[in-house]
Amino acid sequence: MSAAWVLGKRALREGRRTPDALLPTLFIPLFFLVVNVGQAAKIFPAASTEFLHGQGYGAFQLPSSLLLAASFGTAALFLVEEIEGGYFDKLRASPVPRSAIVLGRLIAELVKAVAITTVLVLLGLAFGISIASGPVGFVLLVALTALWAVVFVGFMQIIALKTRSAAATNSAGLVFFPLLFLTPNFVPRDLLTRPMEIAATLNPVTYVMEALRSLILEDLEWGTIAPGFAVVLALGAVMLALNVRVIQRYD
Amino acid sequence: MSSQPGRRLDSRTTDEGDDVAGVVELDRHAAVEAQGLVKHYPGVEAVRGVDLRVQAGEVFGFLGPNGAGKSTTVRMLTTLLSITEGSARVAGHDVARDPDAVRRAIGVALQEAGLDPRQTGRELLELQARLFGMSAQTAAGRARELLALVELEDAADRRIKGYSGGMKRRLDLASALVHEPEVLFLDEPTTGLDPASRLTVWDEVRRVNDRGTTVFLTTQYLEEADQLCDRLAIIAGGRIVREGTPARLKAELRERRGLAAEPTLDDVFLDATGRTRDRVAGDVQEVSA
Ligand SMILES: Nc1ncnc2c1ncn2[C@@H]1O[C@H](COP(=O)(O)OP(=O)(O)OP(=O)(O)O)[C@@H](O)[C@H]1O
Ligand SMILES: [Mg+2]
Repeated sequence: MSAAWVLGKRALREGRRTPDALLPTLFIPLFFLVVNVGQAAKIFPAASTEFLHGQGYGAFQLPSSLLLAASFGTAALFLVEEIEGGYFDKLRASPVPRSAIVLGRLIAELVKAVAITTVLVLLGLAFGISIASGPVGFVLLVALTALWAVVFVGFMQIIALKTRSAAATNSAGLVFFPLLFLTPNFVPRDLLTRPMEIAATLNPVTYVMEALRSLILEDLEWGTIAPGFAVVLALGAVMLALNVRVIQRYD
Repeated sequence: MSSQPGRRLDSRTTDEGDDVAGVVELDRHAAVEAQGLVKHYPGVEAVRGVDLRVQAGEVFGFLGPNGAGKSTTVRMLTTLLSITEGSARVAGHDVARDPDAVRRAIGVALQEAGLDPRQTGRELLELQARLFGMSAQTAAGRARELLALVELEDAADRRIKGYSGGMKRRLDLASALVHEPEVLFLDEPTTGLDPASRLTVWDEVRRVNDRGTTVFLTTQYLEEADQLCDRLAIIAGGRIVREGTPARLKAELRERRGLAAEPTLDDVFLDATGRTRDRVAGDVQEVSA
């Protein structure tokens, strides 16, 4: 575990020293937030739209932006770079558990995602969004988003280890991306058309988004929050198992 | 040519004066031992049955033309690549069965210097030391020593991205030494170095060897092999074609060809890899045999 932590600190340093790779994760989600709210806010006035629970449309849209920020997977590209540059072999030739090499990066991703999510939520607060579930809800909001980021990067990392190619890892990211939009992105699930509703119901991201949304719009609704965490934990377990397996068989 | 266990046994007996109880006795002194090592990549038989024995304390040179299988062999011996067939022991541990024990005992500098461009030289060495279990404080001290050793103190706190090729190679060498390994693997450690840096690396190889580290190095420079190596093997097409001390390989060629003058290691290399050099009116031509 200590090796994973040492490697995690190094991955964080790498992130800090590449702000140009980090800044888009902050600005692109903000851009979408502003644009989506600007386009749809008039359709959903706060006073007469039941699913907004008295808040503005921005509060409803914030989870989409949080998930978008958590689904860039830049860290996986650093891993490809490390494989191509040979440093990955240097790490593999040292007596640390193989799992520490992948875990280190995931730990760093968790820390990074907590920071980015916190900044985004605080910006939201500054623009009048409130967290209806209070301080506990705030913590859960940040935790759930950050865990999603770790799961997402973890899957990208598997692609990186398998393909060892930046191009392939990038396009894998594009394959995952639609999952973010096959969700109740603009309106709650029960207002979607039937095919969309089916797609959203099958899509695990939906439950993460609904959990985040309920934390912002309602008091602690465990019935909605729990499925979000369950999805992240289940996918996280699969992701971890695959990561460890792939790096142990790396040749 | 296959290896000659009989001769080596004899020379060891006379060198060290202890009686040879047999294979077990020999094994204890072998820092690297490979039997029938084979590596197949999809569509390529890169290594086709390599037998090697490097005694503890030796500087062992591994020579061969491009694509002969040197790096592939090194990567198998350093646990980085799975072994298709055969077996290998490094520092007394089976490479396939106990890779972690091997990793604790070896230092590795591969052909492509594996460095992280976003760290500074100091950070890289400190991290490497931490990975070998040193405390943060010990690691910092060790990094300082090594930076001095490879003359990178001035660049220590700059990002590696801005290092020159030679600086990177020296840093890579330093990072292979953090834990004073029992066996040091260097894949072409001096390729691309200026003459002064090359001498620094040679000095460093001799110094770590004096302190008891076995060195396994590949090189394209026959002069380097002649200067540094106690013994060497030449690999061509994935098979070992010569093995012995530089002096014995030269003497063997001289005898076999009935040459008047002492051949150079270049001649041995060309002969071993199936090429000859004809001197015609001062021109040097390489001709495929
Ligand atoms: N990852 C790989 N996949 C497929 N073939 C490979 C791979 N790595 C090496 N080879 C092939 O294996 C053979 C041996 O390569 P290797 O790198 O071991 O040679 P080398 O002796 O180190 O050469 P050089 O002096 O050029 O470094 C070559 O034919 C090479 O093309
Ligand atoms: Mg090579």
